[in-house]
Amino acid sequence: MINPLRLIGYCAWIGKEIVSGSLDVVSGIFKPGEYGNPMIVQLPLRCRTDVEITLMASSITITPGTLVVATAAGDDDTPPTLFVHALFGDSEDDVLEGLYDMESRLLTMTRGEAPAEIGWPAAPGSPAEGAAS
Amino acid sequence: MADIIAIVLVALFGITGSLLMVLSAIAMFRSNDALSRINVFSPATGLGMPLILVAAYVYTLWQDGFGLMRLFMALVGFLSLIIVSSVASNVLSRSVFVAGAPVWRRTSPNRLAEARDDEDAGLTERETWGDFDITDLD
Repeated sequence: MINPLRLIGYCAWIGKEIVSGSLDVVSGIFKPGEYGNPMIVQLPLRCRTDVEITLMASSITITPGTLVVATAAGDDDTPPTLFVHALFGDSEDDVLEGLYDMESRLLTMTRGEAPAEIGWPAAPGSPAEGAAS
Repeated sequence: MADIIAIVLVALFGITGSLLMVLSAIAMFRSNDALSRINVFSPATGLGMPLILVAAYVYTLWQDGFGLMRLFMALVGFLSLIIVSSVASNVLSRSVFVAGAPVWRRTSPNRLAEARDDEDAGLTERETWGDFDITDLD
């Protein structure tokens, strides 16, 4: 059962992210040159249950500037993976760092404890648990 | 005094929400492919529409007084707007991907086209330009 206090805290953090992402989108209009800096990054998840993955995908998409494009199911060897279209990151590592931070907060909310740190950068296809050690 | 506060709050939320709608529309004109356009209307759906709903709720609160049913409707509407717009954006981007719409050629790195190598860590986006010409939109 999810702790209601943690749920409220997570919702407040998502609200803050929505506001700061909206500021990015709006301030990008007034910069000359090409709009944004689009990239599609691969995000191997530490989430395991369907609820966690759905919440994670929805949280990413509701934040302006990041959008889930495709999902890949996980099995025993590979973690479930999201492909995220990011518009305002400086580099791939920068975007992934922000997404892992969001995932850590989400898993802390759903599980009641902080998840294992992911060894970074995770090689594609490597199980998240193996990379954590 | 209560009138002034109500008017200021309604104006603040309503105008901010409407401005976010307009600015998101301009951002959609500025961006280059279907995925970016879906990406930049999130401020309108995730923040603009809920703010306009808050303005409408403050207005009814000022005109008709507090009612538990009204508060409940406003809360359900607020949460539904955020959740539904998130799921809708997911469905839109998924359908763009499945339909094979072109991705802007400067979308780099594009991990749907090219998997990440270990030596990619620390690379900046600008250094990998031109490696992946998925589709030329220009």
